[in-house]
Amino acid sequence: MTREEVIADLQSRFGDDIVELVDKSHNRVYMEINPRAITWVGTYIFRDLHARFNIASATDMPHHMEILYHFTIEDIDLMVNVRVKLPKDAPKIHSLASAIWALDWIEREMHELLGIEFIGHPDPRRLLLPDSWPEGVYPLRQDYREWDKTAVRDRGV
Amino acid sequence: MSMTLKALLKSPWVFHLSTGSCNNCDIEVLDCLTPRFDVERFGILLAGSIRHSDVLLVTGSCNRMSVERLKKLYDQVPKPCLVVGIGTCAGSRGVFIDSYNCPVPLDHIIPVDVYIPGCPPKPEAIIAGVVKLIQKVGNG
Repeated sequence: MTREEVIADLQSRFGDDIVELVDKSHNRVYMEINPRAITWVGTYIFRDLHARFNIASATDMPHHMEILYHFTIEDIDLMVNVRVKLPKDAPKIHSLASAIWALDWIEREMHELLGIEFIGHPDPRRLLLPDSWPEGVYPLRQDYREWDKTAVRDRGV
Repeated sequence: MSMTLKALLKSPWVFHLSTGSCNNCDIEVLDCLTPRFDVERFGILLAGSIRHSDVLLVTGSCNRMSVERLKKLYDQVPKPCLVVGIGTCAGSRGVFIDSYNCPVPLDHIIPVDVYIPGCPPKPEAIIAGVVKLIQKVGNG
């Protein structure tokens, strides 16, 4: 499939779930989708379009939580960035980890650093933070405040 | 000076530990050990196990997960041992001083004998630091 065919295919197949599709440049397409559609959109791009899953990145934006799933279709040198916007008060999305194994760790990381809940994740343990870290404190959120009273924040000079 | 410390200074075996650094200091440590700088001519040898080593080279800003490992490793070093903090992160945590994951500096966790500042320090600086440490301990 060529680049234009892939874009037309995605548009015809997931027209109802696509909020916005931005044809950014010759090798990049941004596709914002409805969060409930992530399982079948992600699985389709990975399995049927033979894309490589690069990474997912989450950001705490001013009005929402945003996750970008980066897929590369290497045959046609096209990067498809699937964007979902989640509400800040209860960010929840279905897990893709059982369909795409590479998402296992990054979903665990997004969960512990930003507090996004991945429904149906096969192994929702902590990945980076120690066990002594308090529950419900997410360090990469914009409203994070220091909780550790023993922390030393000066250079001693 | 004790006999063990005197023997230690003849040929200090070093153990290299990264406590969450960006790996640039680790690369410079590796440079020191490879033929261009070749610290083995001073008797400095990289030990594969912490229990065989005399000097602990610590790089990185001591994040919460690695601090536990650092304490465990420090307990296993045969004493007397010397600790070298390599890089700005090990010295003062550098830009990570306000990080949620770096609560305490290295010298609040274990006693440090010499700091080698730099981001990363050059291999020359690391060698100079270790030589100064040997001189300092050798002079009592």
